Formats: sequence, C-alpha cells, structure tokens
Amino acid sequence: MRLHLLLISFLMFALPAFAVDSDSTVAVVRPVLSSYSLEIGSAHQCDTYLTPLHYSGWQTAFDYERMQAMRHDPDRNVMALGARLSVARTLNQAGTAAMWSIALCPRWAMMWRYRVGCGFTLAGGGGVAASIGAVSLMRNGNNPVSARAAITAGITGMAVWNGSLGHLPVTIFYRPSMPLIGAFFSPDYDELYYEIWLGNHKGLCHAAWPGSYFRLDNQLAADLHFGATTLRIGYRCDITSTKAAGIVSRDITHAFVIGVTAEWISLRAGSRRTPDARIISALYE
Amino acid sequence: MNKLLSVIAIIMTLAVASCHHVEEWPDDPVGNFDALWTGIDRHYCFLDEKGIDWDSVYSVYRPQVSDQTDPVALFNICSDMLDELRDGHVNITSPFATSYYKKWWSDYPQNYNERLVDEYYLHFGGFTRGGFTYAILPDSIAYVRYSTFASTPGDATLDWMLMLLRDCHGMVFDIRDNGGGSISYVETIVSRFIDRRILAGYITHKSGPGHNEFSEPYAYYFDPVADGRFRWDKPVVVLTNRSTFSAANNFASVMSSLPQVTLIGDRTGGGSGMPFSSEMPCGWSYRFSASPVYDAEMRLTEFGVDPDIRVDLDPEMALKGIDTILETALEFLRNKETDSDSR
Repeated sequence: MRLHLLLISFLMFALPAFAVDSDSTVAVVRPVLSSYSLEIGSAHQCDTYLTPLHYSGWQTAFDYERMQAMRHDPDRNVMALGARLSVARTLNQAGTAAMWSIALCPRWAMMWRYRVGCGFTLAGGGGVAASIGAVSLMRNGNNPVSARAAITAGITGMAVWNGSLGHLPVTIFYRPSMPLIGAFFSPDYDELYYEIWLGNHKGLCHAAWPGSYFRLDNQLAADLHFGATTLRIGYRCDITSTKAAGIVSRDITHAFVIGVTAEWISLRAGSRRTPDARIISALYE
Repeated sequence: MNKLLSVIAIIMTLAVASCHHVEEWPDDPVGNFDALWTGIDRHYCFLDEKGIDWDSVYSVYRPQVSDQTDPVALFNICSDMLDELRDGHVNITSPFATSYYKKWWSDYPQNYNERLVDEYYLHFGGFTRGGFTYAILPDSIAYVRYSTFASTPGDATLDWMLMLLRDCHGMVFDIRDNGGGSISYVETIVSRFIDRRILAGYITHKSGPGHNEFSEPYAYYFDPVADGRFRWDKPVVVLTNRSTFSAANNFASVMSSLPQVTLIGDRTGGGSGMPFSSEMPCGWSYRFSASPVYDAEMRLTEFGVDPDIRVDLDPEMALKGIDTILETALEFLRNKETDSDSR
C-alpha cells in the first residue's frame, strides 16, 4: 500500500511491536490488516430445548479481525485473529413470543496461500474457534434459557481477487470456514439447569464433528480502496446446526456487512524501514 | 467470477441441507393438536407412573378436531386432553385463556381459611416480610405462614424472624394454600432447620422421547445455613392441605424427613414433576412435568405427602373462630413442651 497510508496508520496505532522484524533494518514489512465490520440482517433460529418452533427476526453483529502475513515465509503464510459479538431477536410465526440470543465467538486461523495469477489468490488452512452465548425464551418457566458453548478446530479457506473496477482498486474475497472437531455444551434431553446447578454435570460435554455440530461461516466481501480509506461491503451467511441428546439447535443468519479496514505497521524503537522494503500484505496486492 | 459464485451457491445449498431435522407441524387445528399431543408424548414424565395410555387419549380427542375447529373449541379440546394427565403443572395458554387442572385440590376440603387465622389468632397483627407472616401465639408458640414460594426468603428476613421468635419453644410453619414457586427457596428455608448436611431427595429427567427413558436419579443435598446465621432446632409443626403444591410439596417432603418436624393437616397436593414449557405452531404455550423429584427415600411425591397427623378444618368450629388444624398443632407443641419439662 501507499507510503502515506503506512505512516498515518503507524501514527494511529502506536501499539506494541507485533509486526516488527527484529533486525534494526527492516527489509520486509508485514502490515497488519485490521477490519471493523458491522453486520445487519436476518436470523432464523430453532432450539428444541426451548421450543420446537422456528423463529425469525433480525440480527446484528460486530466483527473485528486482524490479518497478517506470518514471519515465516510471509509470501505464503497468513494468520487471522478475530472476534465477533452478535445479538439476535426473533419471533415465532404467530408473533406471540420473542427469542433473544447473544454470542461471542473468538477465532484464530492460519492459512497457506497460493497466487494463481491475474490477481487471484487461493488460501487454505485451519484454525480454532470458540463460541459462548445463550438463547432465551423468557416466557418459558423453568427452561427459559439455552446456554451455548463450544470450542472447535476446523478448516478455513479464502479465494481473493485483487483488481479494479474502473479506476477504483478493489479486493473481492470469499471466505468459508467450517469446524471439524471439538466439544460443545448441551444439557440432556429434558434436563433442567436447576439439576445442573444442584451438581449433576454428567453428560454435558459432547464431541463436536460435522454430524453433531455443523457450522459453515461464509463471508463474501469487497474491499473498496478509496485512497487511504478502505470500505468493506459484503454478505455473510452463518449456518450452525447442532444435535446432542435429542436436542436440535439451528441458527441461520444472512447479513449485510459494512466496515472499514486499515493496514498498519509498527516499528520497534531504533528500527527503521528501508526505502525499498517489501510490503507483504495479508490480503491486498 | 461466475465460477466463484457457483461454488459459493453449491456450498450454501449443501450447508442448508446439512442442518439437522426438526419436525414441523402445520399451523391449522389438526397440526396444532398433533404438535401438542406429540410434545406430551415425548416429554411428559408421568405417563407410565399414572397408567395413562396416551395413544388411546389420542384416539378419543383427535376425532374431535377438524380443519373447521375454531380456536376456542380447539382450546377446550386440548385442555380436556391435558386434564387426562391429572397434573396441576400441566396447562395450556392461549391469548384468551389458560387451562388449569383443578381436581388435585377441588375434590377435597380446602382446610384453610386465611381470615380465620388472621382474625382469631393473629388479631390482624404480626409481622409480614418477604412472603412470611409471623407472630408469637399464646404459650410461647411461634406461628409462621409462608404463603408462596414465589416470594424470596431473604437471609436478613429469616435472621430477624428467627431472632424475634427465638424464645418460643415450638413453631407452627403454615404452608396451607402455598401453591409453590421457586424450588431453590426450599433449600434457603430448610437450611435454617438443619445443623448438618442432609439428603434432600433425588431428581431425574427425561433423557429421550420414550416413556421410560429417564436419567439416573441424582441425589441432591441441603446444607445448613452458614455459621453466624440464626437457626431453629426446636420442635416444628408444618401445616399442609391439598393446595400445598409443587415447591411447597417438596418443602413438606424434605421437612418431614427431619426428626423435630411433624406434618399436620391434609395430604399435600403433589406436583413433584419440575415443569418444562413448549409451544404449538399457533403460538400457544403449554407446560408439562418433565423432571420428577423424589424424596430422600426415593418415593415419588407427585401424588402428595401424607401428614403425620391427619386433621380437617371443622367448618362449624371455624364459624366460632377455631382453626382445628392449627389447634391440633398448638396442642401437639404444648404437649411436646410438657414432655420435655417432665424429663
């Protein structure tokens, strides 16, 4: 990216050196790509612990992610660290009851990328993710809340195209991720949280695999590079379906994504970037 | 770009197809009836205990429903069907009514008149706080009424109450007409009457849709209140009637296991199945027992807890200002005091 963007970003983010090479003279610069996104869209939920009915409504989420080419073989290896906080409110078909849900999902992934040419890059790798939250249906008496918790490891990929639309530099990418193995929480079929509170913790942890814990998080987005500012617009579809102890939960969200991204570097005191240092971005070319 | 979009579309289609199946019913009278019947069939916990043939119940009530059945008629049919469960924890709620099975108390004498106690024993006095009404009756006998387990029994309230009653030699703890509330309050109160950990009972739950699919009973224990708080170790009489239900039924069950406690009155109303809630496609909610609670000897208290001394309220004596159940309790405690004095 342009020099002035790097300098402005450096001034804005005087954070501890994370992207700094240890040499006093920096020959390779690996900027951190930070993105802040707001998602607004629809939610479709079902949790048979609370109700057998399907609920539909709105959802919103805030997502933060930082991507960076890794120190080892930065041309090929990329790391992504992020977290997403989402809230949804849905109604049953008759509109007689509302379900609220909240979830926090931190994640980390590492990808190996291959530049295909003509601006195309493909990447694939793995990562770990956690999810903690709850769904509430407050008109239920003794089962008003269904807690959600999971920790998983899975695969992630990315298809990127860097090009331009007219004179506007654009990066378009599609990024799916899917957990393959892990563990998640679920009470037993008709087990009350009161019984869990009394101390019966038997059988609450379930093995997660695509047959019991299916999740596919898809993001299709375009980063529009307006000078120093990059605007992200896109679409995100997150599908989660779990089944344990006869309880099925399903969350499907479709969301419009809008956000901003910025690339920044930080330099350790005393080090400096050589004028001809290579800039290896995690996403952009 | 078109290839990329095609790949995305394929992935999304496969993803939606990979979701786990959830059975759905149409939002029409038959669909709603079937959803309710199926929900009870898969989740209600006392079908076998009560000897209910749920399939035959379906054959009785299902023919009464057709596509032309109006909401009020459907509500009445569903309500009548749920009454077959003979369970005060089972009801159905629509925007215009909530069904309520009453026979667990309406077929029996009420055995309680709050005005009678307030007027002739408390003289409209005593303290009221946190769901408790308490006073000292003649012969230094404490009277405590806890009218609902929906009222939070605060530690400070319990401390003050027991401190103010500390000179009494016995206590009447009246839970007649207490229809329950939060079962967690049972431990809060029982913890004031024990000095060591006790086995309070067992809890289990449906572990699958089969009528006999239950988890292993889980023993749960109550601990005494922390040192420094007021406890009561003198004789206690717990007054019960058929309207003593749910959490109050559980309280009676646990208290009856304590050596210094005697139950006087009528059998409690039961309600030992912890209720769950669910919904029908039309948005009506329904509630049912899903998690049975047993007493410390692994006996089911769904059908009530028997008193140690069975007494009814005499209506003629009530007209004279005498609560014969309370009088029996007072006489019992006076005799206890006399016995301890003579020893």
